[in-house]
Amino acid sequence: MPSMPQTARAELSGALAAAFGAFALGVRRNLANWPILMGRSLFYLVAMTVLSALWDKVSVQNLPGTLAAVLPPGGLTLYIGVTEWIALSVAAIHLRLEDDIRLGLLEPHLLRPKPYLLQRIAESLGDSFGRLLGIGAAALLALALSGRATPPPVAFAYAAVLGMFGAAIGVLLYTLVGLCAFWIRRVLPPYLIMQKAMFLLGGLFAPITLYPAWLYRVVVVTPFAAQTFFAGNQMIAPSAVTFGYALLAQLAWIAVIAVLIALVWRAALRKILREGL
Amino acid sequence: MNAAATYAANIAAAIRTSLMDRTNFILQSLGMVVNDVFFLTLWYMFFAGFKRVGGWGLTDVALLLGLVMTIVGIAGVFFGGFRDMAAVILRGEIDALLTQPKGVLARLLARESIANAWGDIAMGLWMLATFAGLSWREIPFVLICLIGGTTVYVASAVVYASLAFWFAGARSFARDLTDFMLMFSSYPGSIFTGATKFVAYTLLPAGFVVLAPVTFLRAPALASFAVIAASALGYAALAALAFQLGMRRYRQGKVAIG
Repeated sequence: MPSMPQTARAELSGALAAAFGAFALGVRRNLANWPILMGRSLFYLVAMTVLSALWDKVSVQNLPGTLAAVLPPGGLTLYIGVTEWIALSVAAIHLRLEDDIRLGLLEPHLLRPKPYLLQRIAESLGDSFGRLLGIGAAALLALALSGRATPPPVAFAYAAVLGMFGAAIGVLLYTLVGLCAFWIRRVLPPYLIMQKAMFLLGGLFAPITLYPAWLYRVVVVTPFAAQTFFAGNQMIAPSAVTFGYALLAQLAWIAVIAVLIALVWRAALRKILREGL
Repeated sequence: MNAAATYAANIAAAIRTSLMDRTNFILQSLGMVVNDVFFLTLWYMFFAGFKRVGGWGLTDVALLLGLVMTIVGIAGVFFGGFRDMAAVILRGEIDALLTQPKGVLARLLARESIANAWGDIAMGLWMLATFAGLSWREIPFVLICLIGGTTVYVASAVVYASLAFWFAGARSFARDLTDFMLMFSSYPGSIFTGATKFVAYTLLPAGFVVLAPVTFLRAPALASFAVIAASALGYAALAALAFQLGMRRYRQGKVAIG
């Protein structure tokens, strides 16, 4: 196998080092904006209060002939806690991309040696990681104070790992949304569609295991399930086997979406060269 | 030309601009319709599995969602500048408006009309007309609810955006707060008790955006009408106050722009 030319290797290592720098910057900036992070954590707790109220109400009602009978004994609060933790931790990279593209701020970046999109993604991953830490801490504190029954500690370890990769999938999906700005002025519609797809297909609102069997079989192989459901499900049925399967699925989806992003980015650059920004 | 006429002229121009690119307009509106259908599906599946929650059934939630979608649509089309207001403040774009005689807030709100919001209006009205169990005689009541709800929604968004006068990182946060208010507005009112009910009627006033209007539409009464009217006036006054206090900081050069 021919070895990579030295200049290409240097370029790659330079790009990766810059990306790592951007990731660290994203984490630091997030933590430096601690009032905002605290605000996010607070609203995570508020959202959890609402969602747990909804599911607790459903459990308490336990209407005959409904799916209430198949809900886990502890309810769905911990499951929703994990899925919401991931969903709220995903940085809004689509807004940055939309701004850069719509306002023509992208142009100077394209002249620089560091790859623009990789830098933005790495920075957003860092931002998301910071949010995962902040909101995760708030979630654990609230759980400890709530006195709810918890699954074994290993379930939290599984959920933490799957949550990080899930957030990465979220960032990549939102990157695709942001890149839509090359073709449509505002990315709000694709963002909302993606967000609702995450709600519905990712099991953000309710585990996809509650869906009809045919729908479950379709939904479980989507990136949305890999983003949130797999991590949340560890709170209901923790297992090393499902953890391993989920991790593989997440890595596969990260690779697939990354390739898709690269293809869309190339198409966008072709469009810019042809039509301008 | 008085302030209202200036506002009308500005927003008319913004609407014309948003409709200029037909393909983009159709794409955006259809995108919003798809989003709304997703949301409706979510609740349809929920009620297919669990029938009722705290006395609320699918028809009640359809009324709630119809109102929310129409309110968000009206806000987006006619006051679309609220969506990016925090970013506009943080980018220092208010400077250009300070030299002009007319009100800054009105000009900021009329700065943009969001094309995809037409999709929300279409879906919302369709849901109100088909799923919500309303009759034609209730149209005046629906109009009252839409005016009150839109006022509270836009006023709250202005308060959130005004945080940018104090916090540099408020752009994303202001949007998050608006989205949270929307999220609260999309759940059956019966689940809010204690602290959540307090939040839903204060910080994220979903209670005044839709829950009070739903109560009014289900059983019209003077008391529930008064709640809608008072909340609209109260939140509008709060928005004006927050913005004016922020503008004072802005004029003093205390806002980190750039």
